[in-house]
Amino acid sequence: MEELLNILGKIYDMTAIGSFVENPSSLIMIALGFFLLYLGIKKEYEPLLLIPIAFGVLIANFPGGGMGVYATDGDGFVHYMKDGVEVAKNVYEMSLPEIAHDLGIMNLIYYALIKSGLLPPIIFMGVGALTDFGPMLRNLKLAVFGAGAQFGIFAVLLIASQFFTMQEAGSLAIIGGADGPTAIFTTLKLAPHMLGPIAIAAYSYMALVPVIVPLVVKLTCSEKELKINMKEQDKKFPSKQEFKNMRVLKIIFPIAVTTIVAIIVPDAVSLVGMLMFGNLIKEVGENTSRLFNAASNGIMNAATIFLGLSVGATMTVDAFLNWSTIGIVAGGFCAFGFSIFGGILLVKIMNLFSKKKINPLVGATGLSAVPMASRVANNIALKYDSRNHVLNYCMSSNVAGVIGSAVAAGILISFLG
Amino acid sequence: MQFNYDNFIDSLTLMGVGIATVFAVLLLIIFLGNLLISFVNKYVPEEAPKQNAPAAPASSAVDPNVAMAINLAISKLTGGKSKAEKIEKI
Repeated sequence: MEELLNILGKIYDMTAIGSFVENPSSLIMIALGFFLLYLGIKKEYEPLLLIPIAFGVLIANFPGGGMGVYATDGDGFVHYMKDGVEVAKNVYEMSLPEIAHDLGIMNLIYYALIKSGLLPPIIFMGVGALTDFGPMLRNLKLAVFGAGAQFGIFAVLLIASQFFTMQEAGSLAIIGGADGPTAIFTTLKLAPHMLGPIAIAAYSYMALVPVIVPLVVKLTCSEKELKINMKEQDKKFPSKQEFKNMRVLKIIFPIAVTTIVAIIVPDAVSLVGMLMFGNLIKEVGENTSRLFNAASNGIMNAATIFLGLSVGATMTVDAFLNWSTIGIVAGGFCAFGFSIFGGILLVKIMNLFSKKKINPLVGATGLSAVPMASRVANNIALKYDSRNHVLNYCMSSNVAGVIGSAVAAGILISFLG
Repeated sequence: MQFNYDNFIDSLTLMGVGIATVFAVLLLIIFLGNLLISFVNKYVPEEAPKQNAPAAPASSAVDPNVAMAINLAISKLTGGKSKAEKIEKI
């Protein structure tokens, strides 16, 4: 009988049940993982990223699995148990095999690919390869709304600086840029301990664009404004500009933008430069088609998997279940809403002084969630007037918003990093 | 909670600098885009169509001298009213 109990005891020790009894809070994180999986799979909220993140949350929080990412303290030290003894080592002085051996493979992925800042620019390269700057070049003036819609970032920075350190507030505020890789990149540079909740908030709000954009538009725009037909305005006030060779223009454009951004905000080059490189290999065409395929498919997909899983794995009980997470969720929502409002406000101001009126939806799409924000805005316009297609106009500010948020990130990193 | 004056001033400064810089960059991009459009329209208005290599004569093609002789004969017979459009070996 005693032997049987002994065996049962060993089986109990082998399983994770004992750990759950000792530390039930990890069950909350596992439930969160299930919930995020539900949102990604069933509700189709950004499934390409939310599913890897959710699965990362799940596997990181099973006790004994060794898949959770160890956060560093202020001096870059990780504290972990080795052979029953607590060890503290500077993670930046550990070799990669040592990280893999002592901390597990998820930490290897995290420290080699994420903490080093490698994957967000790689994903930006893929985004660039999938972006068409044609609509922006055709409606170049509308690109200015990509700047107006960065208002939320700086407005929330002002508020959040009262509750967080400046670095943490900057990381939280960048959620208002509505760009996942930009938010991750900025957080890694400024407040890496907040990476998990910020990534989740950024991607969740991007998935909620079809809810948040109509809400802000409804609160701030009149029916008359939403009925402004951009094509009719174009007929009334035709543009003198003509395009004699769009292909060459699209090839020169990414090179020129990279040069300008590199001179003015060097800290934004890793994002904008990679975005424009991805776009360039797309626009060159047949001669770089192999590079384009790699950037937009293989490399982008692999980067997305590693990014999602390891960002999810940073969300352990200690890192997530605290008051700052609630602050991030609330602050992120405000940043998102303020950004949409900032774009709308700029349109309203310009409409006061210009004969050629602009639909405020073009301002609302100045945040970077491409192309979902434009599609949502187009649907709103069609609801008020079934002939009013604003998609192409919205894409101009929308694509400019990608550049705008990357520049804003560069400024935050430059000042607060 | 105490009001953090230093953070408030820092973030207010950053707000001013940040918004101004984002606007400056995008306005520069708009200006640059317009310059590029003018430049491309002026100097590279249209891509030169790729010169196709002359097609190799088909094996069934008739010798040009023979074709000319046939056309001359037809012209003489019809008083210049007709000519052969296509000559094929059967």
